[in-house]
Amino acid sequence: MNGNEAEAQSREEKMNPYPIFAEGYFKSFLLIALSVMASCTSTTVDEFRQGETGITSDETVVVLGRRQASDYETRSEFIECVGEKMGKGDNALNIIPEQEFIDAMFPWFEPRTAPLRTQDLAKLMAEDVVANKMGEFGIRYIVWVDGFTETSGRTGSISCTVGPGGAGCFGFGTWEDDSNFDARIWDVGSFTNVGTINTDASGQSYLPALVIPIPLIARVEANACSRLADQLKGFVKGS
Amino acid sequence: MNKLLNKTGLVSVLALLLANCGVNNVVIEGEFPTPNISKMPVSVAVYYDQALRDFAYLEYTETGSEEFNIESGASHIELFNSITPAMFEQVIFVESMEEAQTAGVDAIFAPAIEEFQLALPAKTKLDVYEVWIKYNMRLLTVEGDYIADWVVTSYGKSPTETFRTVEGAINDAAVVALRDLASTFSLSFGDVPEVRDWLERQ
Repeated sequence: MNGNEAEAQSREEKMNPYPIFAEGYFKSFLLIALSVMASCTSTTVDEFRQGETGITSDETVVVLGRRQASDYETRSEFIECVGEKMGKGDNALNIIPEQEFIDAMFPWFEPRTAPLRTQDLAKLMAEDVVANKMGEFGIRYIVWVDGFTETSGRTGSISCTVGPGGAGCFGFGTWEDDSNFDARIWDVGSFTNVGTINTDASGQSYLPALVIPIPLIARVEANACSRLADQLKGFVKGS
Repeated sequence: MNKLLNKTGLVSVLALLLANCGVNNVVIEGEFPTPNISKMPVSVAVYYDQALRDFAYLEYTETGSEEFNIESGASHIELFNSITPAMFEQVIFVESMEEAQTAGVDAIFAPAIEEFQLALPAKTKLDVYEVWIKYNMRLLTVEGDYIADWVVTSYGKSPTETFRTVEGAINDAAVVALRDLASTFSLSFGDVPEVRDWLERQ
């Protein structure tokens, strides 16, 4: 340590007697705290296989959301996320976007007309227009995703004030998110349900506010999406 | 001069505040795909009356003041314009019943909206916006007699989302309801007993 560095250290010690608040320490501490708190998400994936699977390079998969329930609906953003992740990375599959498929098959896959059982799909495929469109898309598997994310246990409060000298917030808020999604995989070739994958993810989010609110959001739905997509890719490939 | 400016500013602020207290106008806009169904071998004239063209629904607050004015006449016409040519072998759109009677078609189709309901999360305590519409579908002979007169209901919902406006959510729920109408109507048209009998006679 040369003379200048020693002088600077001595000056910093005089100004800040607690080393934890030294700039370097504080940044590291904040980063560790943020990453520990933000990663408080646990995900469980259950797979139930009922039949053999496999897919060739010219065959495709479509991921569709169930929207028959009266009090919730499977969000199209979640379905889009699962589809995108299944179409990327190792073992990537050819995925048909949900809206493109539903529009092309209109009016057979609307909430009230979509097949609820594999027997209904068999009846639907008896219609020439449906069978032809399915053939054009090269659909081998239909993945029906049903579920939602529920937020519970909201506690705490944050108050913000604006004054002539500036603005600021103070307080603390926390809540829990719980995502539960079921994916049923239908084989369009044999009109059978070849398996079910359930993904359950939960996590606690925090919002401390000391002048500026710092959201530490648990990425519950994003984790559920990526774990479900990975599991589906492996399932469809037969691995 | 300053006084005049102050007065103008005050009036502008008041006008802005009052404008925010008024009814919110929602014009339903959406895209409706053409149905993939087999065409029926009949020629039909489609007639929209003025009530359908100008259809608007007013939703009131619990205190009785006007909250949302939902205009869906144009989107209904767009929807029927999209589905009827996919359902029938030949379709012509007419401006009056008289024009339909001289068009040389097998039948006249004249839809009407009987009822429109809107359910907002603030009132239902559910996390969805809901739209429910009841229609009266009328199929007439060229002489104006009823071949069939039946009721079709449609339902649509859209979930609440953090960065979506109430107007946007109402529009999305209404578009889902319109798509529901298109699917139910196009797939069940031939199953209406009077329509089925009429189709067999053609």
